[in-house]
Amino acid sequence: MESFFARYRNYLVLLTILVAQMIGLAVQVRRTGSGRNTLGMQDGEGVRLIRLWATALVSPPERFIHSSRLLVLGLWQNYFDLRRTHAENQQLQQTIDRLRLEQAALLEDAKEGQRLESLMGFQQKYLYATQAAQVFGTGGSNLSRVFYIDKGSADKLERDMAVITPDGIVGKVREVFRHSAQVLAINDQNSGAGVILETTRIRGILRGNADGRLQIVDLLADKRIQPGEKVLTAGGDQIFPRGLPVGEVEKVVPDPDRDGFIEIMVKPAAHLDRLDEVLVITSMQPRFSPQEQNDLATSETLKGAEAAALDEQRKASTIMAERLPGLTDPNAPPKPVDPNAPQPSLLVVAPAKPLKPIHPDRFSPGAAPDAPTAAAAGDKPKAQAEKTSAPVSRTASQADSTAGSQPASGQSASQPDSEPKPQRNP
Amino acid sequence: MARVGAISRHDMEVRRYPILVYGLIPLTALVLQAWLPRVVGRYAWFDLPLVVTVYFALGRRSPIQGTLMGAVLGLFEDALTGHAIGINGIAKTVCGFLAASVGIRVDVENSAIRIVLNFALSLLSSSIYLFVYRFLLGLSLEWSWMTQLYIAIGNSVIAFFVFPLLDRLQLRD
Repeated sequence: MESFFARYRNYLVLLTILVAQMIGLAVQVRRTGSGRNTLGMQDGEGVRLIRLWATALVSPPERFIHSSRLLVLGLWQNYFDLRRTHAENQQLQQTIDRLRLEQAALLEDAKEGQRLESLMGFQQKYLYATQAAQVFGTGGSNLSRVFYIDKGSADKLERDMAVITPDGIVGKVREVFRHSAQVLAINDQNSGAGVILETTRIRGILRGNADGRLQIVDLLADKRIQPGEKVLTAGGDQIFPRGLPVGEVEKVVPDPDRDGFIEIMVKPAAHLDRLDEVLVITSMQPRFSPQEQNDLATSETLKGAEAAALDEQRKASTIMAERLPGLTDPNAPPKPVDPNAPQPSLLVVAPAKPLKPIHPDRFSPGAAPDAPTAAAAGDKPKAQAEKTSAPVSRTASQADSTAGSQPASGQSASQPDSEPKPQRNP
Repeated sequence: MARVGAISRHDMEVRRYPILVYGLIPLTALVLQAWLPRVVGRYAWFDLPLVVTVYFALGRRSPIQGTLMGAVLGLFEDALTGHAIGINGIAKTVCGFLAASVGIRVDVENSAIRIVLNFALSLLSSSIYLFVYRFLLGLSLEWSWMTQLYIAIGNSVIAFFVFPLLDRLQLRD
């Protein structure tokens, strides 16, 4: 037995390690409801621990190399290219060299300032809260398009936050560590974002292909889709806000697997291969500038004043209605209360009814014919008088036809149009 | 007779390195693999952890050490990507084992053999990766053999220049 293990020791070690890794893989893969295998959206604790170890091991030297590269580049640009000139004419060019050195440094600062200014300008203009971060490393594989940024949970970053640049969307936060985070780029095969074509308003799903290029898949063939059309985020994926630039249509190719379907190759708006600074959208709540907040406050104040004025007006109407008894008929019989009738609003003042005149004449309220007739007769007293003497007339027939369109219970007292308006206080 | 020759070569030509080299070189490979794509963009056609695995497996001529180094480097490489942990691990475990097994039988001082081995093992690693991803796990993955060919060529070129440099780090009696 001992000789068996000694003889096949190498194979046994190989087999053990392979089986252990296969078991580890089997734990990570899940089967969806549609019967397809997929990786879990969130890593388990053990897997996350291994990722944490790897990041903790690789990130510090990676950041060091990144910083060193920037430093060396700065030195090269600011010093070494001037040194040659300095050597050529050291005595005469000393002052100029110093000025050039300073100028180069200032130019570099100015360029950086402009770049940061544009970034900050975008950040302030942008309606959502964002966190600027610097890219310092990648996943190191052509099959997995991920990169690392120098902000993590200490900077309130969370999973599934959108990562963008002023040019367009970049990806989403996949894993968050203390001082770094892993971002899944939009050109990864496992990535997905809801997008919409700007002019044709066709929606689709954006993902990456094997070459790291962007494509919109699962689309029915449509001749309206032309190269050059802008692609924007649709906002339905709960990750990217709506309307952010994604890129533009590069070309439309037929889906090789399905007839009648097409794939749209998209040229990304952001430079996915050369990312330096990115913005992480940390909150989808709208964030307004001080000026906009001031405008909002003013608007609210104005709205309050308007509401107060309306309230005052309402109170005055109520007081007037209480103090003017002539506007209500004390002798009028109480109306039956209809339980199904809608409750009148406080704002609606009941139509007033005039008092009975002491000496009624033909102009007195109540002596006039029904409202439709009066309306048809043009409110002319003469026509009213004629109507009483001539039962069959053209006006009456018109009135009948008009009355037919009125409710059957349309009494003159309940119809404001038919009532004479009280002009004065009796 | 050939076996006797191979065993004697194995016993005589096992390379030894300072203990720091075993830690620093793989770490450097992992760091550069993660950082260099930021510089060269989409033309990152290399797999430095695989190159290092093959180098140490060939030099040490120990299948167990080659297996372990391949497994560790592959797992760390997986951990840095967004994919499942273990796919690269399996691929590089097999490559490390095979490289060490071949190293017992061939003359690893020959640069041409080392370059050809790198090329072949790179393609083998890609094939195992694809096999595990698509068939073992049943996941969908778009695949470009052309890219894998470029990576294999890139690995061979890197091995051509880096292996002689790494040879200088070995301990000599």
